[in-house]
Amino acid sequence: MSSASLPLAAGSLVRRKPPWAVRRRRLLLAVANHSLLVVAALMFLSPFFFIVLTSLMTNSQALSSDLWPHPFRWHNFVDVFHQAPIWRWALNTMIYACLATLGVLVSSVPVAYALSRIRWRGRNAAFGLVLIALMLPPVVSVVPLYVMWAKLHLVGGLGPLIIPNWFGDAFSIFLLRQFFLTIPEEYLDAARVDGCGEFRILLTVVLRLAKPAIAAVALFSFLYTFNDFFLPLLYLRENPDHWVLQIGLSEFRSLHQVQWNLTMAATLLVMAPVIIVFFLAQRAFVEGVTLTGVKG
Amino acid sequence: MRRVGIGLLVALVLGAAVIAATARSQADAGTSAAKAETITIWVGWSARELKEFKKIVAEYDKKHSDVNVKVVGGINDDKITASIRSGNVPDVVSSFTSANVGSYCKSGAWLDLKPFLQKDKIDVNMFPKTSQYYTQYKGKRCALPFLADVYGFYYNKKMFRAAGLKSPPKTMSQLTAYAKKLTKRNANGSIKVAGYNPFLGFYAGNAPDLSAYAPLYGAKYVDGSGKSTLSRDPAWSRLLKWQKSLVDWYGYKKLQKFNAGAADEFSASHAFEIGKLAMMIDGEWRVAFIGAEHPDLDYGTAPAPVDDAHPELYGAGYVNGTIIGIPKGVKHKDQAWQLLKYLTTDAHPLALFSNGIRNVPTTKASLNSPEIKPDAHFKTFLKIFANPKSKTTPITAAGNAYGTLIQAFAVKWQAGHAGDLTSGLKKLDKQIDAQLKQAQAGGVP
Amino acid sequence: MAPWLIGFSVFFGYPLVMSVYLSFTHYDLLSSPKWIGTANYRYLFTEDPQVGPAVKNTLWLIGIMVPLQVIFAFGVAMLLARAKQGVGFFRTIFYLPALAPPVAATMAFVYLLNPATGPLNIILGHLGIDGPLWFQSPQWSKPSLTMLSLWGVGNIMIIFLAAILDAPRQLYESAELDGAGPLQRLRWVTLPTISPVILFAVVISVIAALQYFTQAYVAANIAAGQASQAGDQTVNNLGYPESSTLFYPVLLYQHGFKFFNMGYASALSVLLLAVAFTITVLIIRNSRRWVHYAGAAR
Repeated sequence: MSSASLPLAAGSLVRRKPPWAVRRRRLLLAVANHSLLVVAALMFLSPFFFIVLTSLMTNSQALSSDLWPHPFRWHNFVDVFHQAPIWRWALNTMIYACLATLGVLVSSVPVAYALSRIRWRGRNAAFGLVLIALMLPPVVSVVPLYVMWAKLHLVGGLGPLIIPNWFGDAFSIFLLRQFFLTIPEEYLDAARVDGCGEFRILLTVVLRLAKPAIAAVALFSFLYTFNDFFLPLLYLRENPDHWVLQIGLSEFRSLHQVQWNLTMAATLLVMAPVIIVFFLAQRAFVEGVTLTGVKG
Repeated sequence: MRRVGIGLLVALVLGAAVIAATARSQADAGTSAAKAETITIWVGWSARELKEFKKIVAEYDKKHSDVNVKVVGGINDDKITASIRSGNVPDVVSSFTSANVGSYCKSGAWLDLKPFLQKDKIDVNMFPKTSQYYTQYKGKRCALPFLADVYGFYYNKKMFRAAGLKSPPKTMSQLTAYAKKLTKRNANGSIKVAGYNPFLGFYAGNAPDLSAYAPLYGAKYVDGSGKSTLSRDPAWSRLLKWQKSLVDWYGYKKLQKFNAGAADEFSASHAFEIGKLAMMIDGEWRVAFIGAEHPDLDYGTAPAPVDDAHPELYGAGYVNGTIIGIPKGVKHKDQAWQLLKYLTTDAHPLALFSNGIRNVPTTKASLNSPEIKPDAHFKTFLKIFANPKSKTTPITAAGNAYGTLIQAFAVKWQAGHAGDLTSGLKKLDKQIDAQLKQAQAGGVP
Repeated sequence: MAPWLIGFSVFFGYPLVMSVYLSFTHYDLLSSPKWIGTANYRYLFTEDPQVGPAVKNTLWLIGIMVPLQVIFAFGVAMLLARAKQGVGFFRTIFYLPALAPPVAATMAFVYLLNPATGPLNIILGHLGIDGPLWFQSPQWSKPSLTMLSLWGVGNIMIIFLAAILDAPRQLYESAELDGAGPLQRLRWVTLPTISPVILFAVVISVIAALQYFTQAYVAANIAAGQASQAGDQTVNNLGYPESSTLFYPVLLYQHGFKFFNMGYASALSVLLLAVAFTITVLIIRNSRRWVHYAGAAR
């Protein structure tokens, strides 16, 4: 289903012209409905609103019970960069997020293809494994993995965060497989008749048709790694050179002895990239999320 | 198709290998790259104090062309433990929690310094007795003292004058009376200025493990046989009852709100420094903070008030210190030792750093060094440090894990969630003893 | 397939086997693992004073936070589905918080709910209400975390919305012709048609609750540090205040990555694994009773 059709579908519930009383009741209901929506929307937006306000306060104001900055201290957003190596954290985050996302794509697409469009013995068993991997909480495997990385002397760097993504990710495999299944067999057969190998088919036909799903997987993976806190906390905590944004932010207040105003400015800066990405790729997002639910 | 597949596989493995390699070389960066060896030292200081520390290190760097010292600040014990367990260690580590020395020495996480000390013929008697105590466990010395901390009393002279008070309180009941006199409330009943804030968890003087208060009551942690005595030494319940009564006078929730609105302890808006707190127990470092951030503040320093039942304790205080050592798995053992030796035994850096952050120098020579800048406030703390009744917390095999248990109980106590005090303390004793037994046996957690 | 199989065995199979092995040892990463039989499990089930609170707190999440999340997401989705104008606009607003990085969102909430200077209590104060201590109080810390999770409920909401709009229109029309009111339509048309999606939402929320860590860790640290020492050495902030945010994964973290009792932490993770597996199976089994899959729906 495409996101553009949602409001239409809702609107077209009512077609025939019902009697006046019914129409009036519907109008009132719609008004009530919309006012509830507006109230809810205000509630959802208010945290952002107060974060922005606080980020523009002076030190002493942040310690007072004022809600409105007076004067607006835009310089906070410059100070944040002087207080903490934010660019460094951002760079580390980008290295982690980009390499991990690339790894997920390169490793998961062929697996998903093999699980959906190539017939081979043990395929169902393999798919079962994917499902099991998907269901079980990753927290349970974290201790032995830490031991493993410690033995390899890789703790303290980005390696333990990035490398596993190059060996397939259950969620992405699952999502891609479900999408690949919807591609009509005729396209593939046509390519096979032309003498294409499975890999050529994957590269030329499937990838082109599955663009939305691949975009969604890339977005999710990027978002997940960008927001990830647990693994960086385990593997990077003691090495500030490799800190990612989330770790830096969590230690920002205590490490730099700053007030809430600068802390909120830093918080906004960390939120900003995701929100910008969202507005650039809103459609892929919504379609991706929908895909996980409806096909699940 | 097969060839492409294999190619992709090769690319994958290569890619992973490259990432692993870069991650590794980044982690090790500097240890092998430059001509001069880079050695890393971890310290807990941050912000202004970190800058002062870097000055000391810069001097060392200049004198020693064979090494490049990289300083990492803001370190805590969690990070130290994590690095040692995962085998990715700096060359020199330091911790503010001297009470943890027991676990570091016992587990071998910090190297035994005996061979180094013997080789360079260093007599540990050059350090004060207390500092010698909190840098070893059962005779195994895995750390050296690097400046000490001592807790005393700070009061705002201007507020004292306004309230008609002349001298700082000497007993806890005086402290309570003064606190009530100096407290100002807002129209809605919330606290505007706290006379004295006894809330455990509010700034270092109220460390929730009660460490800063114990010497003021002469409270003993263990008896001769090493068993926990919190329920048997009545000093503990006197301390807890005094603390709770003052908390209740303010109102638990009101104090919580006051704390939540107070600025971070090491920021320039510290409640005492901006006049929202009239009296407090704090470490000697505050002298330097006030000097740097609010030089005009009219304040006085004195020993902290003591138990009414034991006025003879007046003049004593809580002492601990920064400990510094070499972690297991170190890459540049000898260079690390040279740096460690310089920092802890040479009077010059000790005096210089003491001037910078106003911590107590930890060798007898540096205590009397002409380089130490005299300061009336700081002198108060040197006296407390020299007082024979001043105490630090016991060094045990479990590190300061007993402190964590005391904290859990005390925080519940002040919230009024702990129930009966006597039975609560008895239970606490049992927990501490059990924990210690396990730590000594090295068995289950 | 091959790289994935390698990956699967290295990053999934191996850890499972190792977890079980390590759970029977004492292992501190300094010396090699020492076999101690079932001592870890005995301590876990009979002695460890923290296991009880941790389990209770986690059950609180599953029993209270998860249902609230699902109901709230469903309510918002219904509102959206019935709206005639600005659906895209509202949907964006409701979805946006779900994107905020958990660390940032948690820090923001600890600030918003600061008992003294936080906007919420200031506004409550203007209304004459003495606001609670939120993250500073053992009674209010979990409700505070719940508010945070409701704010970020956008993912489930979007899934619900899509499912509701996907419901066949003629079902509604015929229900309306039969004289069914809005509530009846909700009960007999909407809920059955989207029940597989509700099941999905419940399962992923429960699994997420079993792993609830980041928000609890950050909130406890920041709230505890609000007036206290910078990165205080001596204070154990996990679970602050009074172990009320000590969830099971936080306990696991404490033993594994603060105390480095890898053996005991493995025992904790083996137990979590067993529980997660059981819960998932139970939910899916029970669901047969109330989930209507397309085709089976009447």
